[in-house]
Amino acid sequence: MRDAPELLERARELTGRSLRQARLITDTTNFMNLELGDVLEVEGRRFVLKGTEYEGRFGLDEQPKYWVKRAVDWEDGSAKILKLEFFEEFDISRGGIKVRCYRSPAKEARILAMVKGNPNFMQGITLRDEAGNLVRVLERIHGGPLDQHLQKLECDHQEYFQRHMRGVLTKLSVALEAIGWLHNQGAHHGDIRRDHLFVDEASGAWPWIDFDYKFEFKQNPYGLDLFGLGNVLTYAVARRDITYHWVRQEYPQAEEKLRPEDFSPVIKNRLMNLKKIYPYLPESLNNVLLHFSNGAAVFYERVEELMAELTPAIAELPQGEEA
Amino acid sequence: MPIWNRILATVDEHDSSLDAVRYLAGVLGGSDACRVRIMSVYQAPEPDAHPKQEERAAAAAQRKELLLDRLEEARQILVGARIAAYNVSTRLEESGGRTIAETIMAAQRQGGFGTIVVGRRGVSKAEEFLFGSVSNSIVHNATDCAVWVIN
Repeated sequence: MRDAPELLERARELTGRSLRQARLITDTTNFMNLELGDVLEVEGRRFVLKGTEYEGRFGLDEQPKYWVKRAVDWEDGSAKILKLEFFEEFDISRGGIKVRCYRSPAKEARILAMVKGNPNFMQGITLRDEAGNLVRVLERIHGGPLDQHLQKLECDHQEYFQRHMRGVLTKLSVALEAIGWLHNQGAHHGDIRRDHLFVDEASGAWPWIDFDYKFEFKQNPYGLDLFGLGNVLTYAVARRDITYHWVRQEYPQAEEKLRPEDFSPVIKNRLMNLKKIYPYLPESLNNVLLHFSNGAAVFYERVEELMAELTPAIAELPQGEEA
Repeated sequence: MPIWNRILATVDEHDSSLDAVRYLAGVLGGSDACRVRIMSVYQAPEPDAHPKQEERAAAAAQRKELLLDRLEEARQILVGARIAAYNVSTRLEESGGRTIAETIMAAQRQGGFGTIVVGRRGVSKAEEFLFGSVSNSIVHNATDCAVWVIN
């Protein structure tokens, strides 16, 4: 390797580690073999690898995502996330229904280009390596996912309702409308979860991350995204997932009032009719949540329908503080 | 202006979709008063889900073959019920990015069909929530034709 000494020196400098070697990688096909200190060169840009990203899902053990690397930009030393090309297909279960899911680098690359400059989505560019693989170079977001952000607010639910809920839902509305905008561009997020909505502490924006999930829809192309939005919204209202088991433990007096129609049609033990345990919630807000429940006569099919009812409901909440 | 006795019957990949055609055969059997178009909506495999061209082509061919078989089965059911063959036609319609219901409704308007016949599989609430319901969507959106929903 002609410039190995230069590579090693710069890789040591950028990683802060005493590396033995620094390989120059131009083909990321075998991403499992990449190591700390490797230098990726794609379309004339270089990135030094610092490690593999892990994904924890709601408190479960973290799983390594070998195709997602923490990296440092060779030129300016800024932190980047590199998502390397990894296509896979698998089945996931939603409410007992098996759904075929695809991880599509091409879809994520397309959405990254579509949302360039839009603070409501993670930012990045896509470069092609020597073998033609799509390497997504993502800006690191300075902050954490929404659930972590909400857990930092030290107060009980009634105080949260009085002081914070309006501010939180106002910020969340911007994120929900951003998904509506995405749908209007003919695209879907594909994996809407509360840990895929980040709170950027530097800019104050709440950007969505991870756009590579793809489903082949039959009738309603936005149903899965709306299901995710309903879960995120309900979480933001309750500041936790409310399960039947949790209600029995924490609000035993409410248990006898619960009916099957109060729960999610998909996640059977998740309470959507939150007014049953938080009676101070306004009817208008609770009615929005009920659209995601078993008792709903009609489900939202578009984000615009959701926002038409959520926006006035937020206006009825106590003024409180900004999120 | 839709003509009431021009009927658009829909079938999909599920066996149960033929139940709606059997019902139609039971109602119209022996009649020469109606013209029936049986249609099926083909949704092409998407490149994001099938990035390899040859695999996508194979998946497309498999889907089309299944739907064409289903259309022929439906045609035979109607003709077998003594509906004149010249009154029964079949068509495989490509969705082209539209939903199934949108594609059916477009065909109804274009062909001036006065009646749509659609089966209902009895999907769960969860399935309806996540994936929508073709029959519900047609019932909600049809404004100038009759809709028969066959359970």
